[in-house]
Amino acid sequence: MSEERKVSKNVIEVTDLRKAYGRVKALSGLTFSVAKGEIVGFLGPNGAGKSTTMRILCGMTGADSGEAQVCGVDLAEEEGEVRKHIGYLPENNPLPEDLRVSEYLKFRGRLKGLSGGRLRERLEATLNLCDLRRSASERLIGNLSKGYRQRVGIAEALLDEPKLLILDEPTIGLDPRQTGIVRRLLDRLRGETSFLLSSHVLSEVEASCDRMLILNRGRIVAEGTLQELQAEYLDNTVFEVVAEGERSVIEKIAQEVDPLCVLTAENPTDATRRKRFSFSTPSGESSAESILKALVAQSATRTREFTIARPDLESIFLKATKRSWEQTDSSRDNLREVSATLQPEEEEEEEGAQ
Amino acid sequence: MKSFSVILRREVFGLFISPATYVAAFYFLTLLGLGFRFFLESFARTDWLLPPLASLVVALIFGSPALIPFLTMRSLAEERRLGTLETLLVAPISVTVVVLGKWFASYIYFILICLSALGFPCMAVWLFPEETIDLRLLEPAQLIGGGIYLLAAGSAFTAIGIFASSVTRNQMVAGMLSFTLLTLHLALMAYYHGEMPTDTMGIAAANVLRDSLGSLTTGLDRLEHFVVGIIDIATLLHYFVTTCLFLGFAILATTRLND
Repeated sequence: MSEERKVSKNVIEVTDLRKAYGRVKALSGLTFSVAKGEIVGFLGPNGAGKSTTMRILCGMTGADSGEAQVCGVDLAEEEGEVRKHIGYLPENNPLPEDLRVSEYLKFRGRLKGLSGGRLRERLEATLNLCDLRRSASERLIGNLSKGYRQRVGIAEALLDEPKLLILDEPTIGLDPRQTGIVRRLLDRLRGETSFLLSSHVLSEVEASCDRMLILNRGRIVAEGTLQELQAEYLDNTVFEVVAEGERSVIEKIAQEVDPLCVLTAENPTDATRRKRFSFSTPSGESSAESILKALVAQSATRTREFTIARPDLESIFLKATKRSWEQTDSSRDNLREVSATLQPEEEEEEEGAQ
Repeated sequence: MKSFSVILRREVFGLFISPATYVAAFYFLTLLGLGFRFFLESFARTDWLLPPLASLVVALIFGSPALIPFLTMRSLAEERRLGTLETLLVAPISVTVVVLGKWFASYIYFILICLSALGFPCMAVWLFPEETIDLRLLEPAQLIGGGIYLLAAGSAFTAIGIFASSVTRNQMVAGMLSFTLLTLHLALMAYYHGEMPTDTMGIAAANVLRDSLGSLTTGLDRLEHFVVGIIDIATLLHYFVTTCLFLGFAILATTRLND
């Protein structure tokens, strides 16, 4: 009897994926999905399991347990089949130094099953898309700069119009201009191709991705759009006021409105008597607005600017990973406590038996 | 099959643009040519029982540890060192196809070297037709027999080279390992060639070794048959099995080290 297979509509569907290298757990119950046309940022500190996940999704290595479907292909059953549907740019993007760009792309195109007119058409399209046609198509790869090599890697990944593009650190080592080119490339393909993009450059992920997955110790520790993550990790409302006046006066006004509000910093602005005061309150944005009204009503403070600060991805990333470290450490402490309380009892039992 | 031909073309192209293979082929063929010339000159004065063409086959076989490593050492070791093997295996292509493509490209190059070596007896016959008429340098039976032996041994030798390249990231280590394995094989063949031991224990030991290692030890005796036009199927099978075994090991090593 043939088993009925559930094919997901998502481009990537991963459930409880686990992988260990000897005693080291690289992935411990990873679960996430990527929808069609979505650009998803894959973040995490070094050793979090990003590259392992990407290698599993590319069918280059197997998982120990769990389920993973990529472009409708079940990786447990047809590991090699998935490579027909994806493009992959590995970390450091290794390329053969002795080939010209066009030779390399033709070779890779043929390996991906393209030939004749179709190969020429795709070659033309990707060279144009990655802005390589005039500048680099006939140059030896070994003589190319890092930025060009990265574009060659992306062009290769795009050759057979994959449904999913997995990019491992695509902007590593690139200067801001080259990073901008890669970002524009992603923008051009937005909606057509799904992306799973791993990067340490958080501003890059923030600018390019629709959604982020933050990975730590082989698990997803935070997931969502930037707004969702901001809401989740925004414990206090942080706001800044540029005003003239004494610190004590301004602090007093704020605390009269909201006793829980704390003045966290005071910095002078350029060449004026104005200062930038940073406040933090757990009472929400309405409290911040009330404080603003109170400050404006006081003519002595002369309030000029008011901004409610949103935490950027970097702070969210740091908070999410820190929280996961704390959770793991506290569960370890609990385990130690349990074993410590059990041990004396066992020892007592042993002594009694003797 | 299509991806095999794509890999093969790329590898053959890689071998043809690599200066190392040209340098190896040049020195190998030069030394082979000079050796063959001196052998022909002194042939009448030697007690060599086999036809003169056999000397060329023996030289190609015993010279292969100096040639095969240059053809195979880069293939997998260099790809792994550069990381391009990982990129290659992301394409819809299996490790088996990659290893077979690389092996076959080296094998083709080895065959080309052997065909080039055939140019020496042809040149001798063309330049000195009267002096070489008794040497029967272009006797079809000898050419076919010697050629088949070279094809069989060459496939196994290149497979050993590919295996050596699959277990390391360093092409120099791969070259040295390949040289050592081939030299060991040829040394065993040379050691067991010729007269059998006379004492009972010696005969028993030699028989056990011959039965268990096949033409690994008796290859040189079999070569004597091939070069006079006698085809020994067991030797061909032995080299076929050796080829499959080392290519299998190379596939396993590539899969395992890439995991």
